[in-house]
Amino acid sequence: MTQSGQDNKSIDLNQFNQVFFEECAEHLAEMEQILVSLDDAGPDDEQLNAIFRAAHSIKGGAGIFGFQDMTVVTHVLESLLDRIRNREIPFSPAMVDLFLEAGDVISMQLAGHRDGADVSQEAIDRIRGKLQQVIDSGAVATAPEAGDSIAAIAEELPLQPESAASSPDCHCFELEFRPDPDIFKRGTRLESLFAELEELGELTVAAELPANLDFSELDPESCFCCWRMTLVTASSEADIREIFEFVAEEDQLKVREIWESSAANNPVSAPEAPAVAVVDAVTPGETFGQAASGAADPSAGRRAYDKNELAPGAYGRRGSEAESSIRVGVTKVDQLINQVGELVITQLMLAQTAAALDPVLHENLHRSLLQLERNTRDLQQSVMSIRLVPISIVFSRFPRLVRELASKLGKQVELKTIGDTTELDKGLIEKISDPLTHLVRNCLDHALETPAARIAAGKEPGGTITLRASQTGGRIVIDVIDDGAGLNREKILAKAAERGIPSSDSMSDEEVWQLIFAPGFSTAEAVTDISGRGVGMDVVLRNVQSMSGKVAIVSQPGQGTRVTISLPLTLAILDGLSVAVGDEKFIVPLNSIIESLQPNSASLKTVNGKSVVLVRGDYIPIIPLYELFNLPARVTDPEKGILVLIDVDGEKAAVLVDALLDEHQVVIKSIETNYRKVDGTAGATILGDGRVALILDVTSLLQMRNRN
Amino acid sequence: MQTGQEHSDRGGIGTVAEYLTFTLGTEEYGIDILKVQEIRGYDVVTHIANAPEFIKGVINLRGVIVPIVDMRIKFKVGEPTYHEFTVVIIMNVLGRIIGMVVDGVSDVVALNPEQIKPAPEMGTALDTGYITGLGTLNDQMLILVDIEKLMSSEEMQVMEQAN
Repeated sequence: MTQSGQDNKSIDLNQFNQVFFEECAEHLAEMEQILVSLDDAGPDDEQLNAIFRAAHSIKGGAGIFGFQDMTVVTHVLESLLDRIRNREIPFSPAMVDLFLEAGDVISMQLAGHRDGADVSQEAIDRIRGKLQQVIDSGAVATAPEAGDSIAAIAEELPLQPESAASSPDCHCFELEFRPDPDIFKRGTRLESLFAELEELGELTVAAELPANLDFSELDPESCFCCWRMTLVTASSEADIREIFEFVAEEDQLKVREIWESSAANNPVSAPEAPAVAVVDAVTPGETFGQAASGAADPSAGRRAYDKNELAPGAYGRRGSEAESSIRVGVTKVDQLINQVGELVITQLMLAQTAAALDPVLHENLHRSLLQLERNTRDLQQSVMSIRLVPISIVFSRFPRLVRELASKLGKQVELKTIGDTTELDKGLIEKISDPLTHLVRNCLDHALETPAARIAAGKEPGGTITLRASQTGGRIVIDVIDDGAGLNREKILAKAAERGIPSSDSMSDEEVWQLIFAPGFSTAEAVTDISGRGVGMDVVLRNVQSMSGKVAIVSQPGQGTRVTISLPLTLAILDGLSVAVGDEKFIVPLNSIIESLQPNSASLKTVNGKSVVLVRGDYIPIIPLYELFNLPARVTDPEKGILVLIDVDGEKAAVLVDALLDEHQVVIKSIETNYRKVDGTAGATILGDGRVALILDVTSLLQMRNRN
Repeated sequence: MQTGQEHSDRGGIGTVAEYLTFTLGTEEYGIDILKVQEIRGYDVVTHIANAPEFIKGVINLRGVIVPIVDMRIKFKVGEPTYHEFTVVIIMNVLGRIIGMVVDGVSDVVALNPEQIKPAPEMGTALDTGYITGLGTLNDQMLILVDIEKLMSSEEMQVMEQAN
């Protein structure tokens, strides 16, 4: 039993560590994002608070989970941020780089704990030194109030009692606070605590060192002091304890009421009280025992010193926003989506069964089923939206990349992002970030010219990279646009010939641009205009294709280049039109359908023995589904059947089917789970009658047709 | 079922394995019972384009798309007829769910290692490579099939080959 109990514990701890790593990475990303968005005017209070909050959370988390080394850098960083926040040290733009560097060091430490990556102690010490230097220089400049030493606080904080009895009901409390030695490491700042007490009334603080303390044992990061305070206030003992609630364990704080004055009492007596208290303070602590035993209820189960952070506005926290999310495993969400998919199918089955029943006799049933349909649709939509996340998660990492690369390359670059709120599937978000990074890097490295070259070309010295995301129909379109030199047709063709990639001078521009996606085209010494750093555009294409996406390039010499990635909205659900061929039903993705038509004989032609249909001046290849799939079709003559016109990224085709049946929202199921990939299909779904229908993949159908 | 009970009582002596027996044409076959998920009737299947003839298509098994293979067509034994007594054995093979059409399911039997004889070369519709042995039970011969090996083989074309 004991053994298994221990095992459980260690497993649990691991899980928590994971949560910490994730959170820490998020905080770092947030910090970085704010830092790079700062302009020369410096951060506003909100931004400073947010950076501080991020650093503070990392430190707190690291402390709790026992990653002491991580608290070291964050502690110094936090101290500096706090000074800036309190206007003790003026902000300077150079600090941004310093903070970014600190963020990198923390990331490095994080990676060290999470993945066992190498951690450079030298870098840690260096950044610590730099930060400390800024603190010290700032502190000197603005001394004495910036002093952090215990002595400074002790000197500073005893406040001169003024007229204490301004309030009608006045108490004088004597407090003895004996904190843990490691209170500073937990991120508690006594100054703020005292400041909070001061708000209640007049406060006198005295620090007392233990008599038997060996000087050589003193550690600046530990608190050995016992704090004695006198507080003249209108508040109750409970209020005082509330302030200490998150700092002190019950036995660390003793509160004793020395005197009380009602409104009728002579207020003049109040100022004397502190004097009494100071005398009292040197008496042994036993006198406090009585009061402490009757203390306010301890707030159990909460890391008490966190409380302040939970308050809206504390550390710049934005209301309840941060608390209103929960972390759930993706598998759980997927399971939920699957189950809702089943529910939708069941609902469809019910609806079909009920449709055969007399609407008058079964009016109630029909009404309920209608309600059920609405509810399941709503449920499905809500569940699907769980997986959707804004693309800003990916976009937000680029400002820093651009900033650093641009300064390294000596180029002036402005990054614009449009459509940050466009939502796409979480699975896609993870996979899209690498190709996008590669594209942005390419823009910076090669597409954008140096300021001198730009001026010579009659352009603004600063280049622009635009990241634009939008949703068009059932697809998400992401553009990476630069206003650089554009692709160089001649160089690409020359390179392709050199690499043995089939090409010819008569190729259209679009075809030439496609060449750069060929594997092996891009290497380290390839055409400088478009090459990456040994990772080719073919990788970009492959990544995007693995998400059922497409990549297109538009480029104008001297004007710039636009790379467009288009992705399916989600991988799990699809609006489709069911069509019949013989006894089988197929689903055609609705978003690819332009129109359906019945051709007349005049519009039907053949090219190379393959039939095409003339629609508004365009010859569109006909895909006879029965032929490709070897099905016994009722209709083989396009004139008698129906042509479904489809368009997938500019490629058009007309699919010949027997009849159009119905419009469905279908849940995409994989055939490959239990079988293998089927040519011409993008998966399968389950229809209302419980039967399986294959979903057509139009691009692959076109390829099949061309092969045959 | 009776025989199964008998043998499990004797459990511990040797490794008694239980087999689900089924008929293909006139031959009696057995597969490891632990690979069998369920047995159901033959229902309408959705045809798969350009699949081999013995792959009848796919069905919806409670939301999961499951391919159906007809061993009678694959091994040219018996007549591939489909009526209310046609049986599909749903199996769990190498993490995949596959349905197998057979002429009928007979029994679950337990066999001791000594009841299993090595298979002779030839003589059955199946390649001997997929046969783990011949079982004898009450003068009846059972062809024991290594269903995992069979279903993952290239000739079945059910699973994507590694290359």
